[in-house]
Amino acid sequence: MQAFNPGPKPQAAQRVLAMAFALILVFMALAPLASAHKVNVFAWVEGDTVHVDGYFAGKKKAQDSLVEVFDSTGEKFLDGRTDQQGEFSFKIPKKTDLKIVLTASMGHKNDFVIPLSELGEVSPEPTVESEVRTKPEAYEKKMVAAAATSEVNLTRMESIIDKALDRKLTPLRKLIRETRQEGVTLSEVIGGIGYIFGLMGVALYFMSKKKS
Amino acid sequence: MHISEGVLSAPVLLTGAALTAAGVAVGLKKMDSERVPLVGVLSSAFFVASLIHVPVGPSAVHLVLNGLLGLLLGWTAFPAILVGLALQALLFQFGGLTTLGINTFNMAMPAVCCYYLFAFGCGFLAIFLSAILVALSLIFTGESFLAAAKVLVVAHLPVMFIEGIVSSFCLGFLKKVKPETLGMTHASV
Repeated sequence: MQAFNPGPKPQAAQRVLAMAFALILVFMALAPLASAHKVNVFAWVEGDTVHVDGYFAGKKKAQDSLVEVFDSTGEKFLDGRTDQQGEFSFKIPKKTDLKIVLTASMGHKNDFVIPLSELGEVSPEPTVESEVRTKPEAYEKKMVAAAATSEVNLTRMESIIDKALDRKLTPLRKLIRETRQEGVTLSEVIGGIGYIFGLMGVALYFMSKKKS
Repeated sequence: MHISEGVLSAPVLLTGAALTAAGVAVGLKKMDSERVPLVGVLSSAFFVASLIHVPVGPSAVHLVLNGLLGLLLGWTAFPAILVGLALQALLFQFGGLTTLGINTFNMAMPAVCCYYLFAFGCGFLAIFLSAILVALSLIFTGESFLAAAKVLVVAHLPVMFIEGIVSSFCLGFLKKVKPETLGMTHASV
């Protein structure tokens, strides 16, 4: 019932092997090595909001994927779905380590942890926020002068600086996300093929021992 | 189609691992020293093929090649696919080590089925395609293609099954008795 067996005829077997080799070379040439088959999740904090970005390697957005947020003990805070851009945002529910789990279709899943130290002030006073938005520099100067006199102002100033930094760092975070090496490198591919050939050698060694 | 870690429950993972272990055992038993190079090279091809992904549809999909492996390797596709998937999990983080069993079974079992169904498929499909061509020819007599095709395919369904079975028996018989007719000197699996 069996169909194709190259059999031990030497030329035929060699031809099949050569063709399979060629196949591997063609695939390696075709494969854009940065693209892999895996879903990635990246998250960053901006003020009291966490932004989550889900994407498949090769920069394809993970749309309409389930996002779940857990604390360090594994208790679930909230869940939601990514939008057309593969993004999802939520307010920080509690100051703790956040574990963000993204479940995409067809059995793909990954997670991202934001440690407690990366969470800024959870609920800064809204007035400060709006004032900073409209006139950040002037407000900061005023605050620096005021801060020298009062402890309360010092903490307010801190939150202002956090805000300003968040704003300045957002493009940087996006850049990091985009350049983060998520793909497969050539050395891994060649290494894997090397492993297989090594296993082949081991198998042949034991088979030759059995024969003799 | 690699299932990631933490998606499946333990019974599914264990069943997959057990079935894969059985398949690999059969495959290793059938693998003689002359086939080892072919198994290894095709395992490499499987390993590399997963890097070529096809950007169509809602998720990321890639080439799998399990049909080719099944056709050429038969049961030895099990060890070949196991090795390929293990290296993909370790080096590329595709799938995972706990899901290795179920992932291997999902890829390798259909490969083995294709190996056995090849002759059946040839016998079956040839009739089906002939029916389609006949229906196409009838378009010019004014008959509607869909109606004609439907009638022809349904009428020939029993023949398709019969010829599929006959073809697979013929091929199996020829392989045992007169392998030269199939372009082989002897059957090794």
